[in-house]
Amino acid sequence: MVELTQNEKRLLVVLEKERKADAPHLARLLETTPEAVVQWAHLTQDKGLVTVERIVEKKFSYTDEGKEYSQNGLPETQLFNVFGESAKFSDLQKNNTFKIGFGQLKKKGVVNVKDGIVFKVSGASTEADEAALRNPSADDPKTKELIRRGILQVSETVRYIIAITPEGTALAKKGLDLREETGILTREQIISGEWKNLNLRRYNVTKLPKKAYPGKVHPYQRIIAEMREILLEMGFEELYGDIVQQCFWNFDALFQPQDHPAREMQDTFYLKETLPLPPGYEKVKAMHISGGETSSTGWGGIWKEEKAEQCVLRTHTTCLSIQHLAHNKNPPVKAFAVGRVYRRETIDTTHLAEFEQLEGIVMDENVSFGNLLGILREFYNRMGFESVRFKPSYYPYTEPSLDAEVYIEDIGWIEMGGAGVFREEVTAPIGINYPVLAWGLGVSRIAMLRLGLKDLRLLHKSDVAFLRETPSLQKAKGGI
Amino acid sequence: MAVITLPYKYLERLTRTDKKTILDKIALIGSDVERTEEDHADVEFFPDRPDLFSPEGVARAMRGYLGIETGLPSYPVKPSGISFTIDPKLADIRPVLGAAVIRGVSFDDESIQSIMSLQESLHWAVGRGRSKVAIGIHDLDAVRPPFRYIASPRSRAFVPLDYTEWMTMEEILEKHPKGRDYAKIIKDFPLFPLIIDSNDHVLSFPPIINGELTRVTIDTKNILLDTTGTDKRAVGVAVNIICTAMAEAGAIIESVEIGGVQTPTLAPAERTVSVKECSRLLGVSLTAPQMAELLRKMRFGAEPAGSDKVKVQVPCYRADIMHDWDLFEDVAIAYGYDKLESQPPKTFTVGKPHPVQVNAALAREAFTGLGYLEVMPFTLTNEDVLYKRMQRPETKGVLHVMHPISIENTVVRTELLPLLLEFLTLNRHRELPQRLFTVGDVVLDCLTHLQAAGVSTHLDADFSEAYASADAVLHELSIVYTVRESNDPAFIDGRRGDIIAGGKTIGVFGEIHPAVLNAFELEHPVAAFEFDLRAVPGYPAL
Repeated sequence: MVELTQNEKRLLVVLEKERKADAPHLARLLETTPEAVVQWAHLTQDKGLVTVERIVEKKFSYTDEGKEYSQNGLPETQLFNVFGESAKFSDLQKNNTFKIGFGQLKKKGVVNVKDGIVFKVSGASTEADEAALRNPSADDPKTKELIRRGILQVSETVRYIIAITPEGTALAKKGLDLREETGILTREQIISGEWKNLNLRRYNVTKLPKKAYPGKVHPYQRIIAEMREILLEMGFEELYGDIVQQCFWNFDALFQPQDHPAREMQDTFYLKETLPLPPGYEKVKAMHISGGETSSTGWGGIWKEEKAEQCVLRTHTTCLSIQHLAHNKNPPVKAFAVGRVYRRETIDTTHLAEFEQLEGIVMDENVSFGNLLGILREFYNRMGFESVRFKPSYYPYTEPSLDAEVYIEDIGWIEMGGAGVFREEVTAPIGINYPVLAWGLGVSRIAMLRLGLKDLRLLHKSDVAFLRETPSLQKAKGGI
Repeated sequence: MAVITLPYKYLERLTRTDKKTILDKIALIGSDVERTEEDHADVEFFPDRPDLFSPEGVARAMRGYLGIETGLPSYPVKPSGISFTIDPKLADIRPVLGAAVIRGVSFDDESIQSIMSLQESLHWAVGRGRSKVAIGIHDLDAVRPPFRYIASPRSRAFVPLDYTEWMTMEEILEKHPKGRDYAKIIKDFPLFPLIIDSNDHVLSFPPIINGELTRVTIDTKNILLDTTGTDKRAVGVAVNIICTAMAEAGAIIESVEIGGVQTPTLAPAERTVSVKECSRLLGVSLTAPQMAELLRKMRFGAEPAGSDKVKVQVPCYRADIMHDWDLFEDVAIAYGYDKLESQPPKTFTVGKPHPVQVNAALAREAFTGLGYLEVMPFTLTNEDVLYKRMQRPETKGVLHVMHPISIENTVVRTELLPLLLEFLTLNRHRELPQRLFTVGDVVLDCLTHLQAAGVSTHLDADFSEAYASADAVLHELSIVYTVRESNDPAFIDGRRGDIIAGGKTIGVFGEIHPAVLNAFELEHPVAAFEFDLRAVPGYPAL
């Protein structure tokens, strides 16, 4: 079914009778302007129902100069007529048509000049030019010359002849609905039932839509939410805590020696604030110095309370895990946190001074390093990474330690996080008597891969266009 | 991290196998292969294993792991007859000295480079940038024992390494590149550490620089090792690692007498560990002979001692073995991580989201329902954005980081709204309207809590939009509130309201002041609001 506007239909109805007519005529019949008729006709022509023929007509008229010449003859004709077979050049010069006329006569080869005498060429005249002046014709070079000389002027008029095609006739014969079209349906029309008589305007439904931008959560937040969801499903309790931590919980309780390079000012954001040490901190101190009551030797050396009291921006969320354990000593404990952590790094496309870390812990009577591998395998599988492997690694507060790698198509094995069993030096001073399995990973690394980001900073200093255009559903093929 | 260069030919000779076998398995003992070149590989090792910071140490470990040579390596040491005295005045400066004589070395350019890089890696991993341990290696034949480690006046002069003229120790700290790098370790002491021979010739100015006199060249046959520092254990570890690496390369190690004691002994430490405890920790069932065999593969001496015990001899270079579990990790590595049975624990537990995050998710839902787009600004920002451009006084309780990376990141955010305005500045070229929100942590007086903020900018953004949006979000979070006229200078007077709940001001909304818009280089009106999520009923106290 061909979609026709109201006006196109009216044009067809008229043309069905007229068959073929020019635009002004049709405009009179349709009570509109010829321009409108031509516009409707072109749209209808696109649908094959009418043909539009464009006819250009040229009209010649005299310029003011031309008007004079049409009565008195062209200047060259006038000059030609003032002498016989020959004349003195100097005599002709006195004639007021000489200036234009002589040049023209010479150019046209009507006269010759020899020794100051002008001769008429036998049989030559300006008759053809006078004829062109009287009856101009579009294809005549003489006419074109007169136009060039500014004697004649030409104006174009365009006429449109519109004719109905057999298809148009067939359609019109079937009958066209000529009721007025309605754009917006009103409340009154709906409740009164008037809508039944309405001819609702049909729209071109294949045109591109106007852009609408929904409010939505950040794609990075969505990835964080997905990880939280998985851990909640796996029976973990969520932790949330302070960004500002004492060195005691951030480092000392995790058996990081006080002279460890990671504790230096150049790697960690220190604050001038301090907080008092928790009761029982002496056990941590003893562990550092001598290994406390365990089989450990401790780090030896000295341990200073002032260093432990100092506040830092947490360098990992492990400080939340260890405090949670200190308050929850009965097994089982399964907990996780996703939180922002801080490292004093020079900021570039792949390093930020603050980023999200996910960390999980499991404390239970008989859990083993093998169980840790099992949890990691399960977590990464649920994130969509099918192949997971483990290799030895080192973290100051876990023993044994490992790094988990996942396989990503087209990229290969990628390190995704570290894990291990909390050292006894970590668990014993806070009164935990069972193994604690712990693992962590950088959330932004997954975000970068999944969102195809080249610059991590875009997660936090985002282009609104990037946020608007990133679909909520990211294709998670092989986890990415 | 320490990246060690391993020349294939040398490594193959020491390991007694081909490079492919080595490189295929090297990651399994705990390393990352950074790159492989035509004649060498660069491999990164962890800081707890400084004994792997040389090709000799790597070869020793790989021979064990590949089963070519297992068990405890033995390093015989006989006395050199050379002695050191230590000046008691060094007690508060740099009291600990370790030393050894290494005879019969045969250097080429490559092996000198290798020992230098081991020295540098140890300075980093064990020596804490030379403050805890500094190592000097000398041509023994250029000087005459006995040696003295003294606290010397700062004006004493000698010719430092890489120089031809005499310089005082003070001048060295000012002019010599190494002096400038490490001056901070000792510059505040009235006297400086110095090692001299019986002719008063200077061997070393630890921890700064050696003398040119004892420079090691390819002609050097016998080495004197000096290791000074502040921590006895760390100094001992450095001596042991260098001596055993040189012994692996074919040298003979001799002890020196320091304060009446012969050192080093390069003798192993002993530890008896439980097989049951190890099996339980790893989640495998091992017998004592199996466990002993796995430990020998990691170059420990190990023999079963009854059904549940294994007696372990820990080589002197294994600085990381502090606790029985450190040995159990080596058992796991020898066993193979991928061979361990990986099963999640069976105990039943129930997942539980944190109420703060539940509140945050609800706030996000309300904002997105209103058509707001979430952004996640950094938490580190600066006073200019937070206060100056907002025309606000500095918030009480704001935390300044002591050593910021740049002037952009000097404080932890106390509000979110300024960061949203900064976002609008970043996105001036993007289509309007823009409605942005963020839900996130702010910190006041060391305490963290959640806030939420929203901004809307377009031609008609105004007070009533801010009020309506704030009202909707507050309502969704069941916050019962009243409003009174605000005096927040970030907003237009007469078009700003404080949100009051539970008798406290918990937030603010209104039309941003044009001067603030100017400060953020914004051209359209902004309707904005921010509030404290601690006002949500049931928000937990941390």
